[in-house]
Amino acid sequence: MIDSPAPASDRLQTLRTRLAPLKEDPGSVMEALYVAQELFGYVSPESIEVIADELGYPEAHVFGVVTFYTMFYTEPQAQHIVRVCRDLSCHIAGAPGIAAAIEARAGIRNGQSTADGKLKLELVSCLGQCDRQPALLVGLDVHGPVDEAGAVRLVDQILAGE
Amino acid sequence: MEEIRVVNRNLGKPDSHTLASFQASGGYVQARRALNEMEPEAIIALMEESELKGRGGAFFPTGMKWKFVRADPNLPRYVVANGDESEPGTYCNRAILEEDPHNFIEGMIIAAYAVGAHTGYIYIRGEFGLAIERVRAALDECFAAGILGDDALGSGYPVNLILRRGAGAYICGEETALFNSLEGKRGNPRFKPPFPTNSGVWSKPTAINNIETFCNIAPILENGAQWFKDLGIGDENAGTKVYCLSGTIQRTGLFELPLGVTARELIYDFGGGPPEGRKLKGFKPGGASAGVLTADELDAKMDASISQYDTILGTGGCIVMDETVSMVDAALRDALFFEEESCGFCIPCREGTPNLVQILEKMLEGEGEPADLELLEEIGESMASSFCGLGQFAYRPVVGALRKFRGEFEEMVRAGAPEHG
Repeated sequence: MIDSPAPASDRLQTLRTRLAPLKEDPGSVMEALYVAQELFGYVSPESIEVIADELGYPEAHVFGVVTFYTMFYTEPQAQHIVRVCRDLSCHIAGAPGIAAAIEARAGIRNGQSTADGKLKLELVSCLGQCDRQPALLVGLDVHGPVDEAGAVRLVDQILAGE
Repeated sequence: MEEIRVVNRNLGKPDSHTLASFQASGGYVQARRALNEMEPEAIIALMEESELKGRGGAFFPTGMKWKFVRADPNLPRYVVANGDESEPGTYCNRAILEEDPHNFIEGMIIAAYAVGAHTGYIYIRGEFGLAIERVRAALDECFAAGILGDDALGSGYPVNLILRRGAGAYICGEETALFNSLEGKRGNPRFKPPFPTNSGVWSKPTAINNIETFCNIAPILENGAQWFKDLGIGDENAGTKVYCLSGTIQRTGLFELPLGVTARELIYDFGGGPPEGRKLKGFKPGGASAGVLTADELDAKMDASISQYDTILGTGGCIVMDETVSMVDAALRDALFFEEESCGFCIPCREGTPNLVQILEKMLEGEGEPADLELLEEIGESMASSFCGLGQFAYRPVVGALRKFRGEFEEMVRAGAPEHG
């Protein structure tokens, strides 16, 4: 999510500043990527250049790391990513119905975003919230157990938000 | 039988995540004593005597692990907490990370001193937002209070702990993949040997333990090895295990019980059994990686001996399935999980996991044929040669379900998909 719509060049400068302490922390590429993603909403090609430059890696290395991990994105993302667990415990507790309710209400399928850029749906691996089966995340906020009506309310809240 | 709270002793107390609350419950007393009054070798000897074994699922003796690390002269040494809890059905580490972060930090400090490490890494999966926030705050409290830093707990021994976040990759719970991730690389696993005790993070001797394992260290120091051994059921088991329940069960939740309780006790006495009026069909004792057991196998003990039932205890994340659950569909869930989480590094796993998915999907669509059953077994056999544990275990829930519920698979390839498929 992008809080301040500062120009990209300013945000790249902010990125450089915030990478300074990470130079003293060997192997902190992923922390650097989190900073970039926080500033831009995704890991932009420019931020990969900056991270490679500041931390002293080839760009290919940084890009390789970005593409390995599912929580890093190389394209701009919707404001809110809704991650629905699709693994066994949540599955038998009703996750397919939750996912279908979200798809129907938001008019999207797994992996897609709404046209207004507010909501993206991802069916994901176990979130470690099995005591709250079926569970989902909005961003990193946990919701569960969720029923279909509750899932629809969540979609409505997200789509009605600013 | 009652719950015995050793690891989970502070859960539910007001503000249990704060330093003040932890210290009010005797927190950091044992770490202070260890660093100021005990010899590292004596701590390791106590761990060996206690017979504490790794709670991440491998059950490797903790004392022996620390001894190997300490014996390696290749400096510096490291200590690592594996908080990448991602095994389906498992959420016991999350409870500690969120509600009692100082608990495992105390164990880590003692471990660092025992093996002769000054730096430790805490690796937490990226989806655990609250856990990350709470651990970060706990570390800040520790540095401010002198519990961590150049003079940890007034001992003159420096201990620095660094928090690192994962970013959505189950494979990073595998220790060598976790080291690569800590070093800022793709989370591919490394070949073993060398083992982490000699070549872990930065290729240096590394004591890597599960969050739950670390939570047992201070209580062992406080109460002694014999006390810990007596907590488990039978000679083979020492201590408790935090079991997790999920699936079609009346009560989900964490239950800290003597290591070695039966599945029947866990599922019925604590979980309340399947929903009213339904019969239990099967259960997976330790997450996706564990093969399913049948209702006739409820007397299996929830410890390492469960391997005689062609499964593993793993994380102790027990997933219960009642009669409404299709075992073919359940097998597909596990296959989909491993297909998604295969890192793609080696061929048997990268190719085998989608093959299992395709066959199971075909069966559930009513297009299966009898030869598919043999094919599942054959693919499984080929996946046994995978590079790391992920691939070596990925086929077992599928082949295990086929072996234990063969009738259901046969019926499906004869008659097409049932209604609940």
